Amino acid sequence: MTKTQTPVKNVVFIMLDTLQFNYLGCYGNETIKTPHLDRFARQSVLFENAYSEGLPTIPVRRALMTGRFTLPYGGWQPLEQDDTTITDILWGQNIQTALIYDTAPMRLAKFGYSRGFDHVEFCPGQELDHTSFADLPLDPAFKPEDYTSPTMVWDEKGEFIDEDSEQLLDEIGCFLRQQQHRRSDADSYVARVVNRTDDWLKNRRDKTRPFFLWVDSFDPHEPWDPPSVWNNEPCPYDPDYTGNPILLAPWTPIEGRITERECEHIRALYMEKITLVDQWIGKILDGIRKEGLWDETMVVIMSDHGQPMGDGEHGHGIMRKSRPWPYEELVHVPLMIHVPGIEGGKRVSGFVQNVDVTATIMEAMGQLKTEGGVSDHGMNTYGAEDYQGISLLPMMRGEVDKIRDFAIAGYYGMSWSIITEEYSYVHWLVDEDEKNSADCVEGSEKTMDEEMWTCTAGAKVEMPSHNELYDRKADPFQLNNIAEKNPQKAEELLQQLKLFIGELRTT
Amino acid sequence: MFQTLEETTYESKIAKVSAGILICFKQLCPHCRNMEKAIEKFAKRHAQVSLFKLDMEENPEASQALEAQRAPTLFVIKAGKIVARKAGLMNPKELTAFYKNA
Repeated sequence: MTKTQTPVKNVVFIMLDTLQFNYLGCYGNETIKTPHLDRFARQSVLFENAYSEGLPTIPVRRALMTGRFTLPYGGWQPLEQDDTTITDILWGQNIQTALIYDTAPMRLAKFGYSRGFDHVEFCPGQELDHTSFADLPLDPAFKPEDYTSPTMVWDEKGEFIDEDSEQLLDEIGCFLRQQQHRRSDADSYVARVVNRTDDWLKNRRDKTRPFFLWVDSFDPHEPWDPPSVWNNEPCPYDPDYTGNPILLAPWTPIEGRITERECEHIRALYMEKITLVDQWIGKILDGIRKEGLWDETMVVIMSDHGQPMGDGEHGHGIMRKSRPWPYEELVHVPLMIHVPGIEGGKRVSGFVQNVDVTATIMEAMGQLKTEGGVSDHGMNTYGAEDYQGISLLPMMRGEVDKIRDFAIAGYYGMSWSIITEEYSYVHWLVDEDEKNSADCVEGSEKTMDEEMWTCTAGAKVEMPSHNELYDRKADPFQLNNIAEKNPQKAEELLQQLKLFIGELRTT
Repeated sequence: MFQTLEETTYESKIAKVSAGILICFKQLCPHCRNMEKAIEKFAKRHAQVSLFKLDMEENPEASQALEAQRAPTLFVIKAGKIVARKAGLMNPKELTAFYKNA
């Protein structure tokens, strides 16, 4: 048996929320400094075409924990009793499991995304946990309105533009309450997660036992609060900007609310935040080496999604995930995997889905062939037999070029898309009005009833007129809809998409 | 794996089945193809359950009598009688529950 076929001893899975693939040096960005992630890319296998299937934060975690697609089943919702997670499968085995995280959506009441981990450590304060700090006194020197653009909040008469205005200032106020005593970058959210992780790796784990460690850093998700904001210095990626720092912007279309110059500055702050995240993640990678773990530990670094931040390729005209739109800037994610014994520095172009990462981790740990049963003590045990993801190890070893002909992405109940080498196609499950008004979690309330999964006599595939087709090579960021000019191709892709999602629904 | 039922004989055939699943399908329905695969997977763990299929377009009267308006529609047959009906897709786990609870 070769080294690559021997199960790895440990796994460190690092999720960096909202890290857009094309903002990294190793994915071709020549402006943003990400030396630690770029070095990791040179030592691991980089996947150029990795896509998250169901968006946003929560379904991505559910897919990764269960190895199953969520898009046909559900959106923003708790982990279900029927879901089998990695830690459910590892129960009763000599593998310690740990989750160190600040991704607050995973910790929503009853959501249960820390289920089954031996060690759980939550670092508070990020979005959706920020209101825990709403009652702390705020130093009067810190004013929320100084940390966003006044024209995003007030109209010409000096009144709030809408309810988003008040919500925006409240949200900023909660972050200021947490950061008002900040002394250095070590007080940033990512630093807290990294320092707790580093401490667990060095001091708190049982060094005689293998481990599976899931690190989930919400940074570089907004607030856009990189060091320059707190140091009162110009942002290094946009030194000429003269307005307020923009810690947050409203969840809205940008038209009439957020100027192009402001969008540009937000992207610069995001870039700086990525550089900060890169520095701190480098500390975990250094710690893995210093502990002598590199040659016996699989390390995965990936994101759940990117982020709409402006017009055109930057966000199709919206800010933050204010609409359930599964475009390239959101659904295409960075993914790099180091497996001891597999040569680093490779780049793989075949399509990959986030569920494949789970199958890869489980195969690397020798857990992919497991089946459910009953333990010697009469307790139920669970296996990976229901996985829909496909292990990436054969691609990483160079044994196959691809494992999928296409990828899918979307928002449950709202939108499905299919991405092929030649085309990308977006199918809307809602009418155009709802498409343009719904937020990114509303789809979870939809029911995919029997009409979704059945045909009637004589009916053919119906293509909604607002569906979209793009030439992926000429137009990778989906700006020029060619569906009307190519109805046959559009219909063919819709048929392929429906067949595949139906197949997922029945497996 | 599936026995094909037809308009003229389906009633008498169903009456002789002790445990079975019937799928009413359409030739060009992608969902039906997926559902047939799920039924086959289910059948591997339930060898005693017989499988039947009926083409809705070729057997319109039988489909109407069975109240199968959408494809696929699944029926559970126990002791010669149809005891449950459901249109749409199910995975093998859901199909097992559907069969057992019928």
